[in-house]
Parts: sequence; C-alpha cells; structure tokens
Amino acid sequence: MDRSTFDIVVVGGGAAGLRAAIAAVETDPSIRVGVVSKVYPMRSHTVSAEGGTAAVLKDYDNFDLHAFDTIKGSDYLADQDAVEFFVRKCPEEIIRLEHWGCPWSRDPDGRIAQRAFGGMSVKRTVFAADKVGFHILHTLFQTTMKYDRIERLDEWFVTSIILEGSAVAGVVAMDLKRGELARIGAKAVILATGGCGRVYEFTTNGFIKTGDGMALAYRAGVALKDMEFVQFHPTALPGTGILITEAARGEGGYLINKDGERFLKRYVPEKMELGPRDILSRSIMSEIREGRSFKGPYGDYVGLDLRHLGEETIEKKLPMVRELAEKYVGIDPVHELIPVRPGQHYIMGGVATNMKGETSVPGLYAVGETACVSINGANRLGSNSLSECLVFGTSTGEAAAAYAQKNRWPTGGPAREALAVEEKRIFDGLLGKDGGPETVAGLRVEMQQLMERRVGIYRDEAGLQEAAVQVGKQRVRFADIRVGDKDRVFNTELTAVLELDFMLDVAATIAHAALARQESRGAHSRTDFPTRDDGRFLTHSLVSRTDGAPRIDYAPVAITRWQPAARVY
Amino acid sequence: MYPWKRRAGWWLRNPRFLLFQAREAGGFVSALFGLLLLYMLVRYHEGVASYDAFLAMLSTPVALTVLALLFAFVMVHALTWFLLIGKAQPIRFTKKPLRAGTVFAINIVLWVLVSGAVLFVVFGGL
Amino acid sequence: MADKDVVFRVKRYRPERDVEPHYQDYRIPYTDDMVVLDGLNYIKDNVDPTLTYRWSCRMGICGSCGASINGTPRLTCETFIKEVRGRTVVVDPMPNFPILKDLVVDFDDFLRKLHEVRPFIDRKEEKPLAEGEYIQFPEEIEAYRQQSMCINCMLCYAACPVFGASEHFIGPAASALAYRYIRDSRDEGADARLDVLSTKTGIWECTFVGECSVVCPKDVDPAGAIQNLKVLASIRQMRQLLMPKWTRR
Repeated sequence: MDRSTFDIVVVGGGAAGLRAAIAAVETDPSIRVGVVSKVYPMRSHTVSAEGGTAAVLKDYDNFDLHAFDTIKGSDYLADQDAVEFFVRKCPEEIIRLEHWGCPWSRDPDGRIAQRAFGGMSVKRTVFAADKVGFHILHTLFQTTMKYDRIERLDEWFVTSIILEGSAVAGVVAMDLKRGELARIGAKAVILATGGCGRVYEFTTNGFIKTGDGMALAYRAGVALKDMEFVQFHPTALPGTGILITEAARGEGGYLINKDGERFLKRYVPEKMELGPRDILSRSIMSEIREGRSFKGPYGDYVGLDLRHLGEETIEKKLPMVRELAEKYVGIDPVHELIPVRPGQHYIMGGVATNMKGETSVPGLYAVGETACVSINGANRLGSNSLSECLVFGTSTGEAAAAYAQKNRWPTGGPAREALAVEEKRIFDGLLGKDGGPETVAGLRVEMQQLMERRVGIYRDEAGLQEAAVQVGKQRVRFADIRVGDKDRVFNTELTAVLELDFMLDVAATIAHAALARQESRGAHSRTDFPTRDDGRFLTHSLVSRTDGAPRIDYAPVAITRWQPAARVY
Repeated sequence: MYPWKRRAGWWLRNPRFLLFQAREAGGFVSALFGLLLLYMLVRYHEGVASYDAFLAMLSTPVALTVLALLFAFVMVHALTWFLLIGKAQPIRFTKKPLRAGTVFAINIVLWVLVSGAVLFVVFGGL
Repeated sequence: MADKDVVFRVKRYRPERDVEPHYQDYRIPYTDDMVVLDGLNYIKDNVDPTLTYRWSCRMGICGSCGASINGTPRLTCETFIKEVRGRTVVVDPMPNFPILKDLVVDFDDFLRKLHEVRPFIDRKEEKPLAEGEYIQFPEEIEAYRQQSMCINCMLCYAACPVFGASEHFIGPAASALAYRYIRDSRDEGADARLDVLSTKTGIWECTFVGECSVVCPKDVDPAGAIQNLKVLASIRQMRQLLMPKWTRR
C-alpha cells in the first residue's frame, strides 16, 4: 500500500469522517481515500453518543417543522438555507445506514421507531436502544471494509496541513507505532476530528477530543466560526462527567431538586424536561445557586428521576443508562435518583464551512463537530449532531471527490519542506525540551480549570478578559514544558503536548469570541448582557489567527423563511 | 515489538483453565475406560477363570485408587460438558433460549435416570 | 480525600531502551471511586510521564483500555481499585499480543480477521432507498443483538488459550461479529462467511474453553456464537453433501 499519496485524506475516523470517505469512493470508484486517525476508528468519540439521531420519517412530521425546531433551537443563529438542505437529507441517511445494517430500534410493526427529544416538536429521534453512536460508528466502520479504495492509517497523528500556494497539498503525520513523521500527499483534505471538549475540566468528552482539526485549520489560515457557543449538557454524572443521555428524559424522566420539585416548571413550563439544552443547563445552575440542589462529594447536583418508568422500560430503552449509573455511581435508577449536573458536551462552533464542507482554503474541507456550517447556531438540539455528521459527511465527501477529479496532484516540494519543518518543531523543539518548569499535565489542568470557571455556562466581561489574558500566558508558558519521555515510539506524552498545543489555540478562540459577543444568545450567556441583541449580533463570529491576539470578524446569518422571534418554550 | 511468549503452566493460574484441562484429559480417560471394557470382554470370552482373575486384579487397592481417579476425571468431563450444552441452543422447543442452568439441570436428571436404568439392568432386573 | 495508598506494579517495555519487559512499582494515593485507569493517569500526570497506555472514553464503550489486571483481562476504566484483591494492583498488557510499548499491544491481526469475515450486510440486490427500510421485527433484532454489542476491546483474545497457542485462530470477536451478520434478517451472506469460518484456523480450532465469554465486558458471549456457528456450518456441510443442488440463503 502506497502510504504517501491519496486523492483524499480524511483526518479522523468518526461518523463524519467515515461517512465522507464512503461518499467519496461511491462518487468515483477510482478515487483513493486515506483515513488518517490518531486512534483506531472504532475508538472515535462518536461511539459514546447515546440518545439518537433525528430525521423526518413519518406522516405526522414534515421538513418545515424539523427546520423550524432546529432554527428556533439555535436561537435564530443557524443558517436557514443550510438547515433546509440538512433536514431534507436526514431521512435518506437514516435509511442508507439501515440498509448497511445499523440496528435501529423498531416499532412492533417492524418499522424504524422514533422517540421524543429536547426541543423537537414531535417524535423524530431515531434510536438504537441507548447506544446510537456505538451502532452508527461500528456500522460505518464495518461498511468501509467493503471498499478497497478506502485505506486506513490507524494511530497516525496529523501534526500540520501542507499547503502548496494557497491550496491544500496533504498533511504531515506521525506514525505512532514507528515514531516517525511522514508526509502524506493529497489533493483534498477533510478534517473530521470532532470537537474540543477537553479544553474544559468537566466534560462528557473522551480524552481524544482536543480540537485537533480546528487548530490545524486555524493555523492554515481558516477562520473558526461561532466558537463562543459551547454546549453544556444538562445531565452528566458528577465527578466523572460521564454522559447520561437526553433520551432518559425523552422516555419520560424528570429533573428534581432537593425539595422533590420538578423545578423546570419555573423555567420551561411547556416543554419541561424536553426543553433545549442551554435553557435546561442554566436552569439547573440557577437551582444550584439558589440553594435547592443536593450536595455531594463532587459538588452540587440535581436528581434525574426514572423510577416511574419502570424496570421493563429502562431495561429495554435505557439499558446503558442503568449500567453506567450502577457502575460509576453505585445506584440503580429503577429505585433511586441519578445525580446529574451540567457538563461541557459539544461545541456548536468550529471550522467555517459551507454546506459542502468547503473552507476558505481550496481543497481543505471540514465536517462534523469540527465544522460549523452552521445548522446549530447558538445552541444545538439533541440528536441533530449525528444526523449532521451523516448529511454533511455525504455532501463533503462528494464535494471533495469532485474537487479531486478536477485537480492535479500536488508536487513534492512543499510537502518535503513541511515535513522538515515539522521534524524540527516536534523532534528537536518539543521532544528535546529539558528542564523547563512546566509539565504537560500541569499546564493542561490549569487551562481546563480556567475555561471551566471563566468561560462556562455563565460568563461576564471580567471573567472573559481574564480568560483571554491567562490563555495567552499559558501559550507563552507552553514553551517551557519539559518532556520526560524521550522515546519516539508511541510517545503519548509527546502527543499530549501536541494536543495541548492545539487546545491552547482553540481555547483562545473561544475566550476571545465570547468576550466580543456582548449579548446572550443560545448557550452563550453573559450576566452583564443578559438579553439577545439581534441589532448588533445576529451574525456569526469569525476568529482568525494573527501574530498577536486573534482577530474577530462577523458574517451575516442566512435567513430564508423564519424571522427571528422571541425564544420561549 | 516484543513478541508474545506463553508461560508454561498457564493453565494453573486460572481455575477455569484448570477445569478445562481436566475436562480435556477426561475425554482421553473416557477412551481408556472404553478400552478397559473391551479388554474385560476379551477376558470374559477366555473363560470364567480368566475373567475372575481379571476382576481380582481390579479389586486390588492400587487398581481401585487408579479407577477412582479415572472415574473422577470422567465425572468432571461429563459435568463440564453438561455445563456447556446450554451455551449453544440451535434446536429449541421454546421461543427464547433456556437458561444454561436449566439445561444443566435437565441433563443431570436425564443422566441420573439413564445411569439408574443401566445399573438396574446390570445388577438387578433381567 | 485520599488517606490510603496502593502499589501499582506495571509491566514496562520501551522498545528503544529495554531488551525485556520488566515490572515497575508506583505507590499512589487512591479513593474508593477511582478505577485502575485513574491510577494510571495519576502516575503519568504526576509521577512518570513515560508510562504509556491507550484510553479515551473512560466509560467502557470505546474498547481502548484493555489490560491484564492481577492476571485477568479487564478494561482499566471499568475496574475499581478497591475491588482488586490485595494491596498491589498488577497491570500487564493484554496477553497473547505482541507488545508495542508498556501496556500498548498490536492487534492489527484482528482487523485483518474482521475484514475476512465480511462484517457488513451482504446481499445480491440492495433495496432502493426510496422504498424505505427493510422490515425487521423486534424479535428479529433480538436474534443478533447480543453479538452486535462487541466493542472490539480484544479482552476475549487475551483470555483465549487457543489464540495464545495459535495466532492464526480467527478468534472470538471476529466469529461473534460474523455470527451477528449471519443472524441479521437483512443479510444474505451466510455462505460466504461460513466458507471463511468453517476451516482449520476458523471456528473448528475452538475447543470451547469459554473464557472469552467470561471476560467479555459487554456480554457478547462469543463462545456461544462460535458453538452456534459450528452447528450452522455442520448443517450446511450435510446439506451440501446430501442435497448438493439445494441453495440456501
């Protein structure tokens, strides 16, 4: 297998990346796609998604309703043309996955079942027990084995994007097993590395979610869009941050404060537990601030009550929730409340793209949580993200394939230079570091705690200023990290350093974008600017890299048929 | 890469592996019993004196000890086999597979009944 | 607050400097809600940054963190320190695999085997998308649900003495996944898979030790799947012998 050149390189092997790879080879069977992932694809964080994936499948539903729910859920920041495209493509993605073997849960008549989910007017969330991400990922991964033209470079860590002139020419990546850097030439590169939850201290995200693709694009000159919009999922287990799916509420679960009250009646009286995530997370924080929460060894929390659902429903529809609660908290949700509190979960922002995943750099694409099209705007509805990976995975794979068909191979020159630059930066520069006072773990924890405290659910000017300044200082201190593991083979301390490098860039964009947005919209909540300001801020923020502080620009939101209105549930 | 090297005595470090080895050895032992029965038929065919001498030899303390040991292996083989039967149920009389424990119990009951019938034929009845 | 400590005895192997793997001891503080993975992270972050291991989701679904803990193949993210017997937690890489570094083993061999069993819906003709989904009743999902839960953690291969002796054995997880597709009502590829499976290095190498099903963290029961495959393969063999013109799905 010729590892050094592919028509398309897909960075990241989760739902979005694998779907794009399949779409590309189906568009043109002569195209060779290399899936370059720092972990084996079945370890991608898609695997942990639990609740479901949304699509209009039944007669009681329609595209306009799915679109409206999404747009209202986004606090009117979503690009409505993209949303209209998105909702129309969801059904066929669900069916295609089903044909590929995905074990969607079924109604008694054998048709695909759907359940209720936060912010959705009707039951449109397709599910596979409560392991939808696991089943989608394994179905996609196993299906890629049908295609000879999809090759995989497993445990290769991409360190930079190679540019030739203004266009993409490939990537530089480290083969972890051999401990060597290599250049991988490509006509097109699709970034599908997921989000960046690990810049926060308390997150549902796995260890690998370090914003690699976002930072890679940022350094290649692409703007990051809407980075201030970070989603905090209302129900994460205290301590570990392990996710308890929204489906638990979709099946009828209640959120209870210490007085046994379903407190959401004071915040979202109509939707209650099925309100959108940003409002629910803020509601829980209010209950905590006003002293109505439970207190535990990991801080304050509220209770998720599933007792009234009964053991049969829980075993059938929420078996993993029960497993996780029993294993990690030692309680059985059939009889007891599950302790939950809001935790970082997703980022609406990401690499600025259009509906075909194109960025401002020719040949460079982004898709999935890495990208921001934007269909999620200021707040994402649960179960739209997996659908997003599938729909835009397809459109991006097709677009990248079309681009690869029309364009010439890059020459070798810039790739060789890029490789030399990276070898110097990484092996001489980072690996060779001795005797500095900082450690990767120490600096990382400081960054995570800073983001958690200053750029969390509630933000204000002083806190965001401090965050921006401190992240800048942490960036400087990064140069003083000492690396203890001097070996090259499978050096996970080195990859942690590379990841922290990426995370510091991404954290800075989040802090600066949040500072600049002087309003509250969706998940971005400013105590000093508590209302939504459509006059000044019905726009997307675009953060671009400069030699100094990041530069913030703004771009208009595409509005087709739904005029922004008050967002009440 | 450092190649995997299995340590001798791997089967001593896990009670289930030990049981597995005993089960497999039990298969060999069952074959030995079969041969012993065949040899018994040969001696029987040679006449009463030969057969009686054979039975006398089998009654010595050493022989009885060995026979008891071999019998233990056969028991282990049979019991572990019954424990495994429930794991794969391609032929079913019920909609869902029976619990492995139930299959085990059914087999034990059948085993006792068949053994009882054989003993009856050999020592009593006919 | 941690007021107790424990010794982690971890097998180290750094290919660029070690000739042989060897144990290294670390004494660390721990609390009752810590899992072995938390201990490893504590060591890497605070004591010895060279310690190398795989992990990601920390909730037992990604399958990255397989290791041998006090001799038993387990996921480090699911094994609580307090449940490990004794004052020492002995952590080895998963047995039966070549070691890349410390607790990281090479299992590319499994991915080749997975590829061989054709782990996808195999049909002569695909239904057009416009016709919607294949009808599949909840009972039909139940037929393959258990085997579909495999997270590819490799603990079953680590536990299997047959695989330990013979690396060509197709092994528990690959067989379980093959079975999952054979039993999926939408699939028509049983024959092709049984050709691959019903060989000397396929399911017939299995002597039903059963340890794979014991260690499986997701209750996939690969041992049961293999024995069922043996029955399917045998029936198919008899059919081909007695009724060679019979074509079955």
